[in-house]
Amino acid sequence: MAITRIGNPALADVREPNFRNILINGDMSIAQRATSASSLTGSGYNTVDRFRTNMGTAGTWTQSQSTDVPTGQGFATSFKMDCTTANGSLSGGSFLIIDQRVEGQNLQYLKKGTSSAESTTISFWVKSAKTGTYIAALNDLDNSRYIANSYTISSANTWEKKTITYAGDTTGAFGNDNGASLKVQFWLVAGTTYSSGTLATSWESNTSANNAVGQVNLADSTSNEWYVTGVQLEAGSVASDFEFLPVDVNLERCQRYYHKWVSEHVYANIAIGIVAGVKNGRGVYQNKVQFRSAPSLSADGNFRIVGDASATGTGSDIAVIRNNTYIHYLDFAFSGGSNNTVAYACEMGANNDADAEIEFSAEL
Amino acid sequence: MINKVEKKYTDGEWSSYKMTLTSGKIWSVPLVADNTDYQAIQEWAAIEGNNIIDNGA
Repeated sequence: MAITRIGNPALADVREPNFRNILINGDMSIAQRATSASSLTGSGYNTVDRFRTNMGTAGTWTQSQSTDVPTGQGFATSFKMDCTTANGSLSGGSFLIIDQRVEGQNLQYLKKGTSSAESTTISFWVKSAKTGTYIAALNDLDNSRYIANSYTISSANTWEKKTITYAGDTTGAFGNDNGASLKVQFWLVAGTTYSSGTLATSWESNTSANNAVGQVNLADSTSNEWYVTGVQLEAGSVASDFEFLPVDVNLERCQRYYHKWVSEHVYANIAIGIVAGVKNGRGVYQNKVQFRSAPSLSADGNFRIVGDASATGTGSDIAVIRNNTYIHYLDFAFSGGSNNTVAYACEMGANNDADAEIEFSAEL
Repeated sequence: MINKVEKKYTDGEWSSYKMTLTSGKIWSVPLVADNTDYQAIQEWAAIEGNNIIDNGA
């Protein structure tokens, strides 16, 4: 039986495979860490999942998951950068970049480093208070290679859709592993260290001076804001419609890199374990999504071990002791509360704290 | 940014790093080479003047 595509007949033969977006959370809908973070001056993951801030000597910023979106495109959220302390006199090494890092094992079909290397196309919606030239780039971390292109913000404070195609690179294959092979970069600030050469519009050995030539200084005024959403990088030279994923799928893709357990109940348990010492419990926490690698752990709040008594402490006393990508052996080693009997079974979880949380990070 | 790193021991064996950031946030970091916090600790420790605290088991 013939399958008829509903919609524009002109698109009937266009190949739009599922999961064609190389980037995760391009609609900015998942923000497990926080929906807003202020006083940012350095690098790290702050709000919207998978999108990392890289910053040095580029003012002070508030970052948030915004509901300001392009009208009629189906997006509910965007990623926002808001300058709160300006830097109008950049140092040579000033930089502000929003990036996403991609595992090499997810990029093998681009055939980079072969004569059949695929071109890639990035499309996104962007809005900025500052008009002018901006740089979007691909940074090959495995082979120290780089390609960039500029886009223009034509009208201030107006959503615009941008599309950039990058040629395939016949030099330097991506590693077929879980390491960061590619950084997709949106430049917002670039000092002369990164802008004094000639923009690398073809793949070349990564030269800092050629990274972001022409980039406006978005840090030069506290009136400056920059929004982006609908970010999609795909193989080929044509930008297809943004691929919206169900929220559960999108969340699980993000949780490969970061997951936050929140108690949501004053005595919620995270694991069942065994009393290893009178105030020491060990348990197993099994995440439903396989992490990219064994994750780090950060706990905040009040916790307890309940065997035949209740030992208590805070998040700083919780550690990983052995670890793999599926199973996390948690070590609760407390000083407060009462003594449990060694070798008894125990519950491990929040201690009268509905906001207790444990973060697991396997980020790139 | 990393402020302080300590070796943590369980049952007499070195089992993880306790990494304290300048923000005060504490991370327990597994001894796994492809964990990016583990990689950051190695880079931090390679800088002259940075030392990983080892109070033993």
